[in-house]
Amino acid sequence: MVTPDLVSEEDIAKLTIPDDLPDEPSFKAYIEAKVYDNEGHLVRYHRQPMKSLTEYFLGIISILTIGTYQNASTNQAQGILVNLLGLPSQQSTYSQALANISWDWTIQLGSGTQSFSPSLTTLAAPIASGTAAGQLLYGNESVSYAGSSIYVSLQVTNNNSSAVSVTEIGLQGTIYIQYYTSGNAYTHASYSFLLSYDTFSTPVTVPGYGMAVFQITLTFTG
Amino acid sequence: MMASKGIEDIDIRMPKDAYDTGNDTPTFNAYLTIVVRDSEGKVVKVHRQRSRSPTANFILFMLPITYFTNTNSSVTIENTGGSTNSYRPGVSSSSAAIAYPNSANNYPTYLLMIQVGSGTQSNPYNAHSLASPIANGSGAGQLVYGQPSIPSNITVSGSSAYFTISQAFNNNSGSTITITEVGIIVNIQAVCAYASSQINFGSVLMWYDTLSSSISVANGGSVTIYYTFTVNP
Repeated sequence: MVTPDLVSEEDIAKLTIPDDLPDEPSFKAYIEAKVYDNEGHLVRYHRQPMKSLTEYFLGIISILTIGTYQNASTNQAQGILVNLLGLPSQQSTYSQALANISWDWTIQLGSGTQSFSPSLTTLAAPIASGTAAGQLLYGNESVSYAGSSIYVSLQVTNNNSSAVSVTEIGLQGTIYIQYYTSGNAYTHASYSFLLSYDTFSTPVTVPGYGMAVFQITLTFTG
Repeated sequence: MMASKGIEDIDIRMPKDAYDTGNDTPTFNAYLTIVVRDSEGKVVKVHRQRSRSPTANFILFMLPITYFTNTNSSVTIENTGGSTNSYRPGVSSSSAAIAYPNSANNYPTYLLMIQVGSGTQSNPYNAHSLASPIANGSGAGQLVYGQPSIPSNITVSGSSAYFTISQAFNNNSGSTITITEVGIIVNIQAVCAYASSQINFGSVLMWYDTLSSSISVANGGSVTIYYTFTVNP
């Protein structure tokens, strides 16, 4: 029999949220932007620490540290997935089918600003993908990793003569639940959140007919 | 238009706040707190340290679908027994991804345990098991493992948010037990929605820490281990 916890909840909270540990942080994240003019010359390089992960980032962390089920014998989703991410406690599916969970990330750029909240779900003023004034054409995104670092980068092109100023950036996460309907048809439900939100310390301006590459680096220091 | 010119073409000055000074505000942190009690339930030691070490398994499972799509590749997961399986999630009926609770069949992916050990290893990233796990039991050198405690939601305070998982262990072995390493082990199964394939990864070490100082649990005493994951602390 395991001894019951004799420390009060308040004491545990004090113990489990230490903020006075002087050694190195266990995680670092950076945002980088390289801006090129219409001739392909690099005209600006900007790098700043990422400072604002949202609560939904913890949702991804919870899947990897707690799992998706409450335990081995309970066919119900763990609470954080239901209460934080709004996922179903049990996905209804065709009788002989199953359900699974996966996710994807995309970089979103915006031209607004807003106060940070851990529950932010969108940028203040997302820049649409397109070729009209004020828009940027979103190219392919790439993801790579090396050791404990994950790199996400996005190339955007300004196909208009007007410059576009980027003032905010977010890493948007989309969670997919894949299953079969009661009629035995494959489908998936998607749930989107902001995993991070930052404003640039100085706006990143993409010149007319120029382009830019934005990169977010997540490093667990290990 | 091509981005043909490199960074060396112009005089670029990095903002001072971007240098790796170690003074940045970390956006994510993990903490390990260990509360040790004597045989009367009295707290005799509280140990806390930063938890630093997601394993390679953690990083590989964390990768988004775009990685797998762009590289047209899978990653290899190694479980605590040394067995390996490939993983390649995607959005299609035939893609196997982490199982989700459903109304048909049960292939649970769940927190198996916080495991404690008496060994150490120098490269936590490459660890796929504890160096010297302490077995569950009341024999010599063993600890009685309690059930993991999992929160039903995160806790939000201002810009910060966190969740804590914990597990208690009792020492009924007859002598003092020393803990030097801790890990989070998740039982992982991947399935495709059509149920045409299932991958049982088994027990996977997702997070691993060696303790900055060893923890001794006296006979009759207990220890509770808390892992806290937080953003914007």
